[in-house]
Amino acid sequence: MTGLFQLFPNPWIGLAAATGAVMGFITVNALFLIWLERKVSARMQRRYGPTEVGPFGLLQTLADMLKLIGKELITPDHVHRPLYLIAPVLVFAPLLALLSLVPINEGWVFHDFDIALVLLLAFSGLNVIGIFAAGWGSNNKYALLGAVRAVAQNISYEIPLLLAVIPIVLMTRSLSLHEIASAQSYPFILVQPLAFIIYFISATAETNRAPFDIPEAESELIAGFHTEYSGMRFGAFFLAEFTNMVIVCAVATILFLGGWKGPLLPGWLWFFLKVYGLILVMMVFRWTFPRLRFDQLMTFAWAILVPLALVNLLLTIVVLKL
Amino acid sequence: MTQPAPTMELVQDPEDRDTYYMNMGPQHPSTHGVLRLRLHLDGERILDVDPVIGYGHRAHEKMAENRDYLQFLPNTSRIDYLSGMIYNLGYCQAIEKAMQIEVPERAEYIRIICGEMNRISSHLLWFGTYLLDLGGITAFLYAFDDREKILDILDSVTGSRLTYNYGRFGGVSMDVDDTFLRSVADFSEYFRKRIEEYHKLVTHNVIFRHRTRGVGVMGADLALDYAVTGPCLRAAGIASDVRKDEPYGIYDRFDFDVVTAEGGDCFARHMVRMGEMEQSLGIIEQAVRDIPEGPVLAPKVPKRIRPPEGEHYFAVEAARGHFGMYIRSDGTDVPVRQKLRTPSFVHVSTMPAVLPGTMLADTVAILGSIDIVIPEIDR
Amino acid sequence: MDTFRQTLIGAWSLLVGMKITLSHVLRGPVTSQYPLERIEMTQAYRNVIRLIEIEEIGSHDCIDCQACVRVCPSDCIKVEGERPEGMRKRRATLFEVEFALCSECGLCLDVCPTDTLGYSREYDQAGYKRDDFLYDLLDEWRDMEEDVREKLVAEEAVKAAAKKAAAAKAAAKKAAEAASAAEGEEGKAEEG
Repeated sequence: MTGLFQLFPNPWIGLAAATGAVMGFITVNALFLIWLERKVSARMQRRYGPTEVGPFGLLQTLADMLKLIGKELITPDHVHRPLYLIAPVLVFAPLLALLSLVPINEGWVFHDFDIALVLLLAFSGLNVIGIFAAGWGSNNKYALLGAVRAVAQNISYEIPLLLAVIPIVLMTRSLSLHEIASAQSYPFILVQPLAFIIYFISATAETNRAPFDIPEAESELIAGFHTEYSGMRFGAFFLAEFTNMVIVCAVATILFLGGWKGPLLPGWLWFFLKVYGLILVMMVFRWTFPRLRFDQLMTFAWAILVPLALVNLLLTIVVLKL
Repeated sequence: MTQPAPTMELVQDPEDRDTYYMNMGPQHPSTHGVLRLRLHLDGERILDVDPVIGYGHRAHEKMAENRDYLQFLPNTSRIDYLSGMIYNLGYCQAIEKAMQIEVPERAEYIRIICGEMNRISSHLLWFGTYLLDLGGITAFLYAFDDREKILDILDSVTGSRLTYNYGRFGGVSMDVDDTFLRSVADFSEYFRKRIEEYHKLVTHNVIFRHRTRGVGVMGADLALDYAVTGPCLRAAGIASDVRKDEPYGIYDRFDFDVVTAEGGDCFARHMVRMGEMEQSLGIIEQAVRDIPEGPVLAPKVPKRIRPPEGEHYFAVEAARGHFGMYIRSDGTDVPVRQKLRTPSFVHVSTMPAVLPGTMLADTVAILGSIDIVIPEIDR
Repeated sequence: MDTFRQTLIGAWSLLVGMKITLSHVLRGPVTSQYPLERIEMTQAYRNVIRLIEIEEIGSHDCIDCQACVRVCPSDCIKVEGERPEGMRKRRATLFEVEFALCSECGLCLDVCPTDTLGYSREYDQAGYKRDDFLYDLLDEWRDMEEDVREKLVAEEAVKAAAKKAAAAKAAAKKAAEAASAAEGEEGKAEEG
């Protein structure tokens, strides 16, 4: 294996270091992203957002997290205990593995797999199991409805996601994230704008963000699949959602926007700027648009996105052959 | 011909394993109050619905039998707190009609201005909460920002933001000054531009259109059968408005259109309400232009309000429809019976006819677009 | 082709929507940072009632007529009074408002015959028990009550004295006229 992992003499120490770094990143990222979301949404709604706790309210998320940790973990009587308890873990665990695959700068990656992209797409499908376990195990009609919708939505939007990624793979002839990012002397979005749009929309749907947030439709199903969760279990779902956002936006940056490439500033700074820029766009989506109804969502995926992605793929193949 | 209303009893059939029952209980973010909907679902499709009301019963009609007419005045604002001004002024007009009290001109103009401002604020709240239910949370805050302006203007003259007790028998309780009229005119100018923005943000939005077009069709036949009034009726294409059919106050002097739309779906109701807001602005501008000087309270109002023996009925066009007050008096201070005909009560009874066949997500859209206020149903 | 056109129109509407929400970021917040900044209430603002000073008296002018007690729909006012010695009007000795029941309708202000009821300007009352909202409206007027009564009694006495003097003057005038009339008659009788 190439990558920073090689630097560690003992693979177990390397594993511990990787896990520690990833957990640290997830926590800090969640702290920052939740604050950013609250501030951005507040400014769009002409109000202030958190201002009291810490400068500009930066420590507000920390306070909320401490509050969540201090809450009682209520396990309702009627739940299916194994499923109910394993669901937050199932939703959260795949993401830990995935973050170690993402290259931040030239050579700054824990594992430089040659098939990192396939691994990423495969693991991001795993969180569906967690969502469904949560919904089914909660023994609650609302949660079940949310879970059912989430499963259908996630599975449907994986197809356009894959189809949008394949042209990039064809162009660079590699599945390794590091190689794809290194091969971009110009960002691939310039030659694959349609693929980028399809990928971004599918990624928003994969992370259950509005306008595709039917699984957790706040006004219809109270809280969807995580209705019956309280305390840090609920926090785990939240952390998973924000981490997922970072992962899909990181993949988008690497595939379409050139990863760490850019003038003047150091590579990792460009990377983070691009990733958080895309996350900002996702946030604006959430706070501007109403929700799609479930059947319209499926129609959109199968009848509009998949044909468009196929057309794009065919065009790419034709152009590459010439 | 409309279908007869389905049976109100939803009894669980033990043999039936394909469908299930769900309770959209009194505590739900989208039922606009404490309304309980018992749903019979097949997957996401609704087969039958049974609304259960009464969770917000406050016994207004009973209170009316124990208070005299002046003491009941604060209650009128609280029946439908979103159109509190219209109900309040309507009650005053009902008693004035029964007692043959003349209201001065200036008071009539002030009543028109305040009533129409209240209508706009009610429609703004409907707009905001409708989008909140559909998921576009930001528009909710924009609508409430505009509503704050209306509430501040009305606060400056009445002293209250929601439950105005502004009307008195024979006029209004306090006079308005030029700052009020100027702020009303400024607001009217500002709000016309805002409506344009709302159209761009919401009405033209493709997701909103997909959610509301063709959803929850309440045809003209159904609406007339169930005695639906207000924007829901006008969205089915029938131009019926109490302000035009039976003008009260000085509404016959104002030039405004009755906004209708075709189709009777959620989108039509949305367009009717947005149009009504613009028409209200027109009425307000005309009133501000023509308001005369003079007193605001009739000089000779009897100290004891004793309507003549018999039945009296008076109707106003509230933000939600036809609000009627029926008073049976036996010549004393206290009414024998006071019945309030509220529009939302009728609208919620159309649920079993409109909802079956739609999807669960549409329930929220339809409930929001019919614009019910639960306290008005339960009184 | 039509679907394509519809998709483009739809996508454009989404972009317009995003532009509107983003433009609001530039317009700045409209919320006020309560409690760091106090919000001013309007002139007509309605809150718990209070007794207002009437100029000629220098204090409140509640005459214990029970009009506000009778008109209140929530039965939240309690007034008791007495008629001090030497005064024609009554004065209130107890004026309590149970604000937890009050619906701020303003009817009590309308019926007060001496216009001595008005609104106070507080607005963020909070308490731990119901009794925290039992307002005693005479609290601010108790210190000067004795002086006010003295003053009113003195005024009444002056008025009564003036009335008596005027009555005496009128009586004297009448007596003088009667006397002159009688003298005229006597003179006539003497002559005759």
